[in-house]
Amino acid sequence: MIPENFKNYLINKGGLTLSEFDHLASSLQSKKVSKGHTFLREGEVCQQSFFVEQGLLRSFTIDDSGKEHIIQFAPENWFISERSSIFFNEPAEFFIEAIEDSTVVLIDKDFMIIAAELSAVFREYNERLLHNHIRHLQKRVNQLLSAPAEKRYLNFINLYPDLLLRVPQWMIASYLGITPESLSRVRKDLATKNFKQ
Amino acid sequence: MKTRSIEAIIAPPNAHYVGDGFRVHNFIPGGHNSGMQRMNPFIMLDYNSKFYFPPTDTPRGVGVHPHRGFETVTIAYKGSVAHHDSSGNSGVIKEGDVQWMTAASGVLHNEFHEKEFSKAGGDFQMVQLWVNLPAKDKMSKPKYQAITHDQINKFQLPQNGGSIEVIAGNYEGVHGTASTFTPVHLLNVHIKKGVKVPFSFPQNYHTALLVIKGNVKINGVENAPSDHFALFQNDGEAFNIEATEDATVLVLSGEPIDEPIAARGPFVMNTNEELSQAIKDYNMGKFGFLED
Repeated sequence: MIPENFKNYLINKGGLTLSEFDHLASSLQSKKVSKGHTFLREGEVCQQSFFVEQGLLRSFTIDDSGKEHIIQFAPENWFISERSSIFFNEPAEFFIEAIEDSTVVLIDKDFMIIAAELSAVFREYNERLLHNHIRHLQKRVNQLLSAPAEKRYLNFINLYPDLLLRVPQWMIASYLGITPESLSRVRKDLATKNFKQ
Repeated sequence: MKTRSIEAIIAPPNAHYVGDGFRVHNFIPGGHNSGMQRMNPFIMLDYNSKFYFPPTDTPRGVGVHPHRGFETVTIAYKGSVAHHDSSGNSGVIKEGDVQWMTAASGVLHNEFHEKEFSKAGGDFQMVQLWVNLPAKDKMSKPKYQAITHDQINKFQLPQNGGSIEVIAGNYEGVHGTASTFTPVHLLNVHIKKGVKVPFSFPQNYHTALLVIKGNVKINGVENAPSDHFALFQNDGEAFNIEATEDATVLVLSGEPIDEPIAARGPFVMNTNEELSQAIKDYNMGKFGFLED
Protein backbone atom coordinates (compact mmCIF):
# COMPACT_ATOMS: atom_id res chain seq x y z
CA MET A 1 0.00 0.00 0.00
CA ILE A 2 1.43 3.34 -1.00
CA PRO A 3 0.94 5.95 1.68
CA GLU A 4 -0.89 8.59 -0.35
CA ASN A 5 -0.53 11.51 2.04
CA PHE A 6 3.19 10.93 2.39
CA LYS A 7 3.58 10.62 -1.36
CA ASN A 8 1.69 13.88 -1.94
CA TYR A 9 3.73 15.50 0.77
CA LEU A 10 7.08 14.50 -0.75
CA ILE A 11 6.03 15.43 -4.27
CA ASN A 12 4.01 18.59 -3.68
CA LYS A 13 6.00 20.04 -0.80
CA GLY A 14 9.33 18.21 -0.99
CA GLY A 15 9.70 18.67 -4.75
CA LEU A 16 10.44 15.03 -5.57
CA THR A 17 9.43 13.93 -9.05
CA LEU A 18 7.13 10.96 -9.45
CA SER A 19 9.97 8.80 -10.74
CA GLU A 20 12.21 9.83 -7.83
CA PHE A 21 9.42 8.88 -5.46
CA ASP A 22 8.89 5.52 -7.18
CA HIS A 23 12.60 4.83 -6.87
CA LEU A 24 12.40 5.38 -3.10
CA ALA A 25 8.99 3.90 -2.42
CA SER A 26 10.14 0.31 -1.98
CA SER A 27 11.92 1.15 1.28
CA LEU A 28 8.79 2.69 2.80
CA GLN A 29 6.66 0.75 5.16
CA SER A 30 3.29 1.85 6.40
CA LYS A 31 1.75 0.36 9.46
CA LYS A 32 -1.76 0.32 10.91
CA VAL A 33 -1.72 0.43 14.69
CA SER A 34 -4.29 0.58 17.45
CA LYS A 35 -4.58 3.36 19.99
CA GLY A 36 -1.91 2.82 22.65
CA HIS A 37 0.71 1.31 20.33
CA THR A 38 4.22 2.34 21.37
CA PHE A 39 6.63 3.23 18.55
CA LEU A 40 9.57 4.20 20.74
CA ARG A 41 10.49 3.73 24.40
CA GLU A 42 12.72 5.94 26.45
CA GLY A 43 16.23 4.47 26.49
CA GLU A 44 15.98 2.74 23.11
CA VAL A 45 17.94 4.06 20.16
CA CYS A 46 15.45 5.52 17.71
CA GLN A 47 15.89 4.00 14.23
CA GLN A 48 13.04 5.61 12.35
CA SER A 49 11.02 8.73 11.87
CA PHE A 50 7.25 8.55 11.68
CA PHE A 51 4.88 10.31 9.31
CA VAL A 52 1.22 10.22 10.28
CA GLU A 53 -1.05 9.27 7.36
CA GLN A 54 -4.12 8.94 9.54
CA GLY A 55 -4.63 9.25 13.28
CA LEU A 56 -2.64 10.88 16.05
CA LEU A 57 0.68 10.26 17.81
CA ARG A 58 2.33 11.94 20.76
CA SER A 59 5.80 12.07 22.26
CA PHE A 60 6.12 12.31 26.02
CA THR A 61 8.33 11.74 29.03
CA ILE A 62 7.44 10.31 32.41
CA ASP A 63 9.00 12.05 35.40
CA ASP A 64 10.23 10.43 38.63
CA SER A 65 6.82 10.81 40.23
CA GLY A 66 5.15 9.00 37.32
CA LYS A 67 3.64 12.14 35.76
CA GLU A 68 3.52 12.37 31.97
CA HIS A 69 4.71 15.45 30.09
CA ILE A 70 3.73 15.80 26.46
CA ILE A 71 6.38 17.17 24.14
CA GLN A 72 4.60 17.01 20.81
CA PHE A 73 1.38 15.90 19.14
CA ALA A 74 1.51 14.62 15.57
CA PRO A 75 -1.83 14.56 13.74
CA GLU A 76 -2.24 13.82 10.01
CA ASN A 77 0.64 14.98 7.79
CA TRP A 78 3.00 15.60 10.69
CA PHE A 79 6.41 14.03 11.27
CA ILE A 80 7.43 12.87 14.70
CA SER A 81 10.70 11.31 15.83
CA GLU A 82 13.50 11.52 18.38
CA ARG A 83 15.95 13.41 16.20
CA SER A 84 18.88 13.44 18.61
CA SER A 85 18.59 9.72 19.18
CA ILE A 86 18.51 9.01 15.45
CA PHE A 87 21.26 11.40 14.45
CA PHE A 88 23.66 10.94 17.36
CA ASN A 89 22.80 7.30 17.92
CA GLU A 90 22.07 7.82 21.61
CA PRO A 91 19.30 6.55 23.90
CA ALA A 92 15.94 8.19 23.31
CA GLU A 93 14.77 10.68 25.92
CA PHE A 94 11.09 10.09 25.38
CA PHE A 95 8.31 7.75 24.29
CA ILE A 96 6.34 7.91 21.04
CA GLU A 97 2.87 6.44 21.15
CA ALA A 98 -0.38 6.38 19.15
CA ILE A 99 -3.32 8.03 20.92
CA GLU A 100 -5.81 7.12 18.20
CA ASP A 101 -5.98 4.15 15.86
CA SER A 102 -3.44 5.31 13.28
CA THR A 103 -1.75 4.60 9.97
CA VAL A 104 1.87 5.61 10.15
CA VAL A 105 4.72 5.61 7.59
CA LEU A 106 7.94 4.28 9.08
CA ILE A 107 10.87 6.13 7.57
CA ASP A 108 14.33 4.60 7.87
CA LYS A 109 17.07 7.02 8.70
CA ASP A 110 18.67 6.41 5.30
CA PHE A 111 15.53 7.42 3.44
CA MET A 112 16.03 11.15 3.87
CA ILE A 113 19.75 10.88 3.06
CA ILE A 114 19.09 8.99 -0.18
CA ALA A 115 16.24 11.32 -1.09
CA ALA A 116 18.54 14.30 -0.53
CA GLU A 117 21.24 12.72 -2.72
CA LEU A 118 18.69 12.07 -5.41
CA SER A 119 17.16 15.52 -5.50
CA ALA A 120 18.69 18.91 -4.83
CA VAL A 121 15.21 20.37 -4.52
CA PHE A 122 14.38 17.92 -1.79
CA ARG A 123 17.71 18.55 -0.01
CA GLU A 124 16.87 22.22 0.22
CA TYR A 125 13.37 21.42 1.36
CA ASN A 126 14.58 19.01 4.02
CA GLU A 127 16.95 21.62 5.38
CA ARG A 128 14.12 24.10 5.56
CA LEU A 129 12.07 21.50 7.40
CA LEU A 130 14.85 21.10 9.95
CA HIS A 131 15.01 24.85 10.49
CA ASN A 132 11.28 25.00 10.79
CA HIS A 133 11.51 22.37 13.49
CA ILE A 134 14.15 24.39 15.33
CA ARG A 135 11.98 27.50 15.05
CA HIS A 136 9.05 25.59 16.51
CA LEU A 137 11.15 24.30 19.41
CA GLN A 138 12.59 27.77 20.11
CA LYS A 139 9.13 29.26 20.27
CA ARG A 140 7.97 26.46 22.50
CA VAL A 141 10.85 26.92 24.97
CA ASN A 142 10.30 30.66 25.06
CA GLN A 143 6.58 30.22 25.58
CA LEU A 144 6.96 27.63 28.32
CA LEU A 145 9.29 30.00 30.17
CA SER A 146 7.47 33.24 29.69
CA ALA A 147 3.92 33.12 28.29
CA PRO A 148 0.76 33.29 30.39
CA ALA A 149 -1.63 30.32 30.21
CA GLU A 150 -4.10 32.02 27.86
CA LYS A 151 -1.41 32.85 25.32
CA ARG A 152 -0.14 29.27 25.43
CA TYR A 153 -3.69 28.02 24.79
CA LEU A 154 -4.28 30.46 21.90
CA ASN A 155 -1.02 29.40 20.25
CA PHE A 156 -2.00 25.78 20.74
CA ILE A 157 -5.38 26.05 18.99
CA ASN A 158 -3.69 27.94 16.19
CA LEU A 159 -1.12 25.17 15.72
CA TYR A 160 -3.46 22.23 16.30
CA PRO A 161 -7.00 23.45 15.46
CA ASP A 162 -8.89 20.19 15.94
CA LEU A 163 -7.04 18.58 18.84
CA LEU A 164 -9.36 19.97 21.48
CA LEU A 165 -11.99 17.67 19.97
CA ARG A 166 -9.66 14.69 19.82
CA VAL A 167 -7.63 14.50 23.03
CA PRO A 168 -8.55 14.70 26.70
CA GLN A 169 -8.05 18.02 28.47
CA TRP A 170 -5.31 16.69 30.74
CA MET A 171 -3.13 15.95 27.72
CA ILE A 172 -3.55 19.48 26.42
CA ALA A 173 -2.75 20.87 29.87
CA SER A 174 0.30 18.60 30.00
CA TYR A 175 1.49 19.86 26.59
CA LEU A 176 0.96 23.46 27.68
CA GLY A 177 2.79 22.94 30.97
CA ILE A 178 -0.19 24.10 33.04
CA THR A 179 -2.57 22.30 35.39
CA PRO A 180 -5.89 21.00 34.04
CA GLU A 181 -7.55 23.49 36.42
CA SER A 182 -5.84 26.44 34.85
CA LEU A 183 -6.66 25.18 31.34
CA SER A 184 -10.27 24.97 32.46
CA ARG A 185 -10.05 28.54 33.80
CA VAL A 186 -8.61 29.83 30.52
CA ARG A 187 -11.41 28.17 28.52
CA LYS A 188 -14.03 29.47 30.91
CA ASP A 189 -12.69 33.04 30.59
CA LEU A 190 -12.74 32.79 26.80
CA ALA A 191 -16.30 31.44 26.85
CA THR A 192 -17.37 34.29 29.15
CA LYS A 193 -16.01 36.75 26.60
CA ASN A 194 -17.24 35.00 23.46
CA PHE A 195 -20.43 33.05 24.24
CA LYS A 196 -23.58 34.80 23.15
CA GLN A 197 -26.80 32.95 23.90
CA MET B 1 -49.41 2.08 -5.10
CA LYS B 2 -46.03 0.53 -5.82
CA THR B 3 -44.34 -1.60 -3.20
CA ARG B 4 -41.15 -0.32 -1.69
CA SER B 5 -38.62 -3.14 -1.62
CA ILE B 6 -35.82 -3.95 0.80
CA GLU B 7 -32.26 -3.15 -0.17
CA ALA B 8 -30.66 -4.93 2.79
CA ILE B 9 -31.34 -6.36 6.21
CA ILE B 10 -28.30 -5.33 8.21
CA ALA B 11 -27.16 -7.29 11.26
CA PRO B 12 -25.85 -5.17 14.14
CA PRO B 13 -22.21 -4.26 13.43
CA ASN B 14 -19.70 -4.80 16.27
CA ALA B 15 -20.53 -2.56 19.21
CA HIS B 16 -18.23 0.25 20.27
CA TYR B 17 -18.41 2.59 23.23
CA VAL B 18 -19.31 6.27 23.06
CA GLY B 19 -17.79 7.55 26.28
CA ASP B 20 -18.21 4.74 28.80
CA GLY B 21 -22.01 4.79 28.96
CA PHE B 22 -23.24 4.03 25.45
CA ARG B 23 -22.43 0.67 23.90
CA VAL B 24 -23.63 1.18 20.37
CA HIS B 25 -23.98 -0.44 16.98
CA ASN B 26 -23.64 2.16 14.27
CA PHE B 27 -26.16 1.64 11.45
CA ILE B 28 -25.85 5.08 9.81
CA PRO B 29 -23.48 5.97 8.17
CA GLY B 30 -21.41 2.83 8.89
CA GLY B 31 -23.84 -0.09 8.75
CA HIS B 32 -23.97 -0.37 5.01
CA ASN B 33 -20.79 1.67 4.41
CA SER B 34 -23.08 4.02 2.65
CA GLY B 35 -22.08 7.42 4.02
CA MET B 36 -24.26 10.23 5.27
CA GLN B 37 -26.16 10.91 2.04
CA ARG B 38 -27.71 7.44 1.73
CA MET B 39 -30.28 7.98 4.50
CA ASN B 40 -30.15 11.80 4.56
CA PRO B 41 -31.81 13.61 6.40
CA PHE B 42 -30.93 10.81 8.87
CA ILE B 43 -27.17 11.18 8.94
CA MET B 44 -26.23 9.10 11.98
CA LEU B 45 -27.91 6.33 13.92
CA ASP B 46 -26.28 4.71 16.93
CA TYR B 47 -28.19 1.89 18.59
CA ASN B 48 -27.45 0.79 22.13
CA SER B 49 -29.06 -2.67 21.97
CA LYS B 50 -30.36 -3.93 25.32
CA PHE B 51 -27.33 -4.16 27.58
CA TYR B 52 -27.01 -4.62 31.32
CA PHE B 53 -24.94 -2.03 33.15
CA PRO B 54 -24.03 -3.07 36.70
CA PRO B 55 -24.59 -0.65 39.61
CA THR B 56 -22.07 2.16 40.06
CA ASP B 57 -21.74 5.32 42.15
CA THR B 58 -20.05 7.12 39.27
CA PRO B 59 -22.56 7.51 36.42
CA ARG B 60 -21.33 6.34 33.05
CA GLY B 61 -21.78 8.53 30.00
CA VAL B 62 -20.19 10.98 27.62
CA GLY B 63 -18.37 14.05 28.89
CA VAL B 64 -18.68 17.58 27.57
CA HIS B 65 -18.81 17.79 23.76
CA PRO B 66 -20.20 20.21 21.18
CA HIS B 67 -22.62 19.82 18.26
CA ARG B 68 -23.42 22.12 15.35
CA GLY B 69 -25.48 21.90 12.18
CA PHE B 70 -28.09 19.23 12.95
CA GLU B 71 -30.50 17.81 15.54
CA THR B 72 -29.93 14.91 17.93
CA VAL B 73 -32.88 12.71 18.75
CA THR B 74 -32.57 10.39 21.73
CA ILE B 75 -35.19 7.68 22.12
CA ALA B 76 -35.05 5.83 25.43
CA TYR B 77 -36.39 2.27 25.45
CA LYS B 78 -34.76 1.18 28.70
CA GLY B 79 -32.85 3.12 31.34
CA SER B 80 -32.60 6.88 31.71
CA VAL B 81 -30.17 9.61 30.75
CA ALA B 82 -29.48 12.98 32.35
CA HIS B 83 -28.12 15.83 30.26
CA HIS B 84 -26.72 19.30 30.95
CA ASP B 85 -25.70 22.04 28.57
CA SER B 86 -23.69 25.24 28.60
CA SER B 87 -26.81 27.44 28.53
CA GLY B 88 -27.93 25.99 31.84
CA ASN B 89 -30.55 23.60 30.44
CA SER B 90 -30.79 20.16 31.92
CA GLY B 91 -33.22 17.28 32.04
CA VAL B 92 -33.75 13.56 32.29
CA ILE B 93 -34.82 11.31 29.42
CA LYS B 94 -36.72 8.39 30.94
CA GLU B 95 -37.94 5.11 29.55
CA GLY B 96 -40.37 5.81 26.69
CA ASP B 97 -39.35 9.48 26.39
CA VAL B 98 -37.85 11.25 23.42
CA GLN B 99 -35.52 14.20 23.47
CA TRP B 100 -35.37 16.18 20.26
CA MET B 101 -32.48 18.62 20.56
CA THR B 102 -31.87 21.13 17.82
CA ALA B 103 -28.15 21.83 18.18
CA ALA B 104 -28.22 24.14 15.12
CA SER B 105 -25.68 26.97 15.71
CA GLY B 106 -24.16 25.18 18.67
CA VAL B 107 -24.69 23.28 21.87
CA LEU B 108 -22.09 22.15 24.38
CA HIS B 109 -23.43 19.36 26.56
CA ASN B 110 -22.86 16.11 28.40
CA GLU B 111 -24.98 12.98 28.68
CA PHE B 112 -24.74 10.54 31.59
CA HIS B 113 -26.82 7.69 32.90
CA GLU B 114 -29.22 9.19 35.42
CA LYS B 115 -27.93 8.96 38.99
CA GLU B 116 -30.54 6.62 40.47
CA PHE B 117 -30.42 4.34 37.41
CA SER B 118 -26.64 4.19 37.76
CA LYS B 119 -26.85 3.29 41.45
CA ALA B 120 -29.35 0.52 40.86
CA GLY B 121 -27.86 -0.69 37.57
CA GLY B 122 -30.08 -2.24 34.93
CA ASP B 123 -30.89 -2.80 31.30
CA PHE B 124 -30.15 0.09 29.02
CA GLN B 125 -31.47 0.43 25.47
CA MET B 126 -31.51 3.61 23.38
CA VAL B 127 -31.36 5.04 19.91
CA GLN B 128 -29.50 8.22 19.10
CA LEU B 129 -30.31 9.64 15.75
CA TRP B 130 -28.87 12.71 14.04
CA VAL B 131 -31.28 14.56 11.78
CA ASN B 132 -29.66 16.93 9.32
CA LEU B 133 -30.72 20.56 9.01
CA PRO B 134 -31.01 22.43 5.73
CA ALA B 135 -28.29 25.06 5.16
CA LYS B 136 -30.68 27.92 5.95
CA ASP B 137 -31.37 26.52 9.44
CA LYS B 138 -27.94 25.23 10.42
CA MET B 139 -27.09 28.43 12.29
CA SER B 140 -30.50 28.96 13.88
CA LYS B 141 -30.92 29.14 17.63
CA PRO B 142 -30.59 25.88 19.59
CA LYS B 143 -33.76 24.49 21.18
CA TYR B 144 -35.11 21.43 22.95
CA GLN B 145 -38.27 19.42 22.63
CA ALA B 146 -38.40 17.26 25.74
CA ILE B 147 -41.18 14.83 24.93
CA THR B 148 -42.37 12.51 27.68
CA HIS B 149 -43.93 9.19 26.78
CA ASP B 150 -47.48 10.30 27.62
CA GLN B 151 -47.14 13.38 25.37
CA ILE B 152 -46.45 11.30 22.27
CA ASN B 153 -49.53 11.12 20.03
CA LYS B 154 -50.65 7.57 19.35
CA PHE B 155 -52.60 5.72 16.71
CA GLN B 156 -54.39 2.74 18.25
CA LEU B 157 -54.50 -0.34 16.06
CA PRO B 158 -57.86 -2.11 15.91
CA GLN B 159 -58.64 -5.13 18.09
CA ASN B 160 -55.94 -4.31 20.63
CA GLY B 161 -53.32 -5.07 18.00
CA GLY B 162 -50.98 -2.48 19.44
CA SER B 163 -50.21 1.18 18.85
CA ILE B 164 -48.12 3.45 16.73
CA GLU B 165 -46.43 6.33 18.54
CA VAL B 166 -46.01 9.21 16.16
CA ILE B 167 -42.87 10.96 17.38
CA ALA B 168 -42.73 13.11 14.25
CA GLY B 169 -44.54 13.33 10.92
CA ASN B 170 -47.85 11.51 10.80
CA TYR B 171 -49.56 8.16 10.59
CA GLU B 172 -53.19 7.72 9.49
CA GLY B 173 -54.08 11.30 10.42
CA VAL B 174 -52.31 11.26 13.79
CA HIS B 175 -49.74 14.03 13.84
CA GLY B 176 -46.29 13.77 15.38
CA THR B 177 -45.57 15.48 18.65
CA ALA B 178 -42.18 16.87 17.60
CA SER B 179 -41.84 19.69 15.11
CA THR B 180 -39.21 19.24 12.40
CA PHE B 181 -37.44 21.53 9.92
CA THR B 182 -37.94 19.25 6.91
CA PRO B 183 -40.48 16.46 6.35
CA VAL B 184 -39.57 13.58 8.67
CA HIS B 185 -41.63 10.62 9.87
CA LEU B 186 -40.44 8.89 13.01
CA LEU B 187 -42.69 6.16 14.41
CA ASN B 188 -42.43 3.75 17.30
CA VAL B 189 -44.49 0.79 16.24
CA HIS B 190 -45.65 -1.62 18.95
CA ILE B 191 -47.49 -4.60 17.48
CA LYS B 192 -48.71 -7.92 18.77
CA LYS B 193 -47.86 -11.23 17.20
CA GLY B 194 -49.75 -11.79 13.95
CA VAL B 195 -50.67 -8.12 13.43
CA LYS B 196 -49.79 -6.57 10.09
CA VAL B 197 -49.53 -2.80 9.54
CA PRO B 198 -49.19 -0.87 6.30
CA PHE B 199 -46.97 2.18 5.72
CA SER B 200 -46.64 4.53 2.82
CA PHE B 201 -44.17 7.34 2.29
CA PRO B 202 -43.31 9.27 -0.88
CA GLN B 203 -40.98 7.25 -3.10
CA ASN B 204 -38.06 9.69 -2.82
CA TYR B 205 -38.09 9.62 1.01
CA HIS B 206 -35.17 7.70 2.50
CA THR B 207 -36.71 4.97 4.59
CA ALA B 208 -35.52 2.34 7.06
CA LEU B 209 -36.61 0.49 10.17
CA LEU B 210 -34.90 -0.87 13.24
CA VAL B 211 -36.31 -3.84 15.11
CA ILE B 212 -36.04 -2.94 18.78
CA LYS B 213 -37.82 -6.02 20.11
CA GLY B 214 -39.30 -9.20 18.67
CA ASN B 215 -39.32 -10.28 15.09
CA VAL B 216 -41.07 -8.96 11.98
CA LYS B 217 -41.70 -9.98 8.42
CA ILE B 218 -41.50 -7.17 5.86
CA ASN B 219 -43.67 -7.24 2.72
CA GLY B 220 -44.57 -10.81 3.57
CA VAL B 221 -41.16 -12.10 2.61
CA GLU B 222 -38.14 -10.62 4.35
CA ASN B 223 -37.53 -11.59 7.94
CA ALA B 224 -36.03 -8.97 10.28
CA PRO B 225 -35.05 -10.20 13.74
CA SER B 226 -34.47 -7.97 16.76
CA ASP B 227 -31.56 -5.52 16.62
CA HIS B 228 -31.54 -5.70 12.81
CA PHE B 229 -31.84 -2.68 10.55
CA ALA B 230 -33.80 -2.84 7.30
CA LEU B 231 -32.85 -0.40 4.59
CA PHE B 232 -35.48 0.25 1.92
CA GLN B 233 -34.95 1.13 -1.70
CA ASN B 234 -36.57 4.16 -3.33
CA ASP B 235 -38.52 2.09 -5.83
CA GLY B 236 -42.01 2.49 -4.39
CA GLU B 237 -44.05 3.96 -1.57
CA ALA B 238 -45.81 1.20 0.33
CA PHE B 239 -44.60 -1.57 2.56
CA ASN B 240 -45.99 -3.54 5.44
CA ILE B 241 -44.62 -5.21 8.51
CA GLU B 242 -46.09 -8.18 10.30
CA ALA B 243 -45.05 -9.24 13.78
CA THR B 244 -44.07 -12.89 13.93
CA GLU B 245 -43.75 -12.31 17.68
CA ASP B 246 -44.71 -9.27 19.79
CA ALA B 247 -42.53 -6.51 18.40
CA THR B 248 -41.35 -2.92 18.73
CA VAL B 249 -40.03 -1.32 15.57
CA LEU B 250 -38.67 2.16 14.93
CA VAL B 251 -39.67 3.35 11.47
CA LEU B 252 -37.92 6.32 9.91
CA SER B 253 -38.63 8.04 6.64
CA GLY B 254 -37.60 11.50 5.52
CA GLU B 255 -37.31 13.76 2.51
CA PRO B 256 -33.66 13.99 1.43
CA ILE B 257 -32.06 17.38 1.89
CA ASP B 258 -30.47 17.99 -1.47
CA GLU B 259 -27.32 19.74 -0.28
CA PRO B 260 -23.66 18.78 0.16
CA ILE B 261 -22.58 17.39 3.54
CA ALA B 262 -19.26 18.22 5.18
CA ALA B 263 -18.88 16.36 8.47
CA ARG B 264 -16.17 16.27 11.08
CA GLY B 265 -16.78 14.58 14.42
CA PRO B 266 -19.62 16.42 16.14
CA PHE B 267 -20.12 19.03 13.38
CA VAL B 268 -22.16 18.51 10.21
CA MET B 269 -22.14 21.45 7.81
CA ASN B 270 -22.26 21.99 4.04
CA THR B 271 -18.66 23.06 3.35
CA ASN B 272 -15.18 22.50 4.76
CA GLU B 273 -14.90 26.23 5.47
CA GLU B 274 -17.95 26.00 7.72
CA LEU B 275 -16.38 23.03 9.49
CA SER B 276 -13.16 24.97 10.12
CA GLN B 277 -15.25 27.84 11.45
CA ALA B 278 -17.12 25.45 13.77
CA ILE B 279 -13.81 24.14 15.13
CA LYS B 280 -12.52 27.69 15.58
CA ASP B 281 -15.69 28.79 17.35
CA TYR B 282 -15.52 25.79 19.65
CA ASN B 283 -11.85 26.45 20.49
CA MET B 284 -12.63 30.10 21.23
CA GLY B 285 -15.45 29.35 23.66
CA LYS B 286 -18.31 30.43 21.38
CA PHE B 287 -20.23 27.29 22.35
CA GLY B 288 -20.03 28.38 25.97
CA PHE B 289 -18.43 26.50 28.83
CA LEU B 290 -19.40 23.45 30.83
CA GLU B 291 -17.25 21.98 33.60
CA ASP B 292 -16.19 18.37 32.89
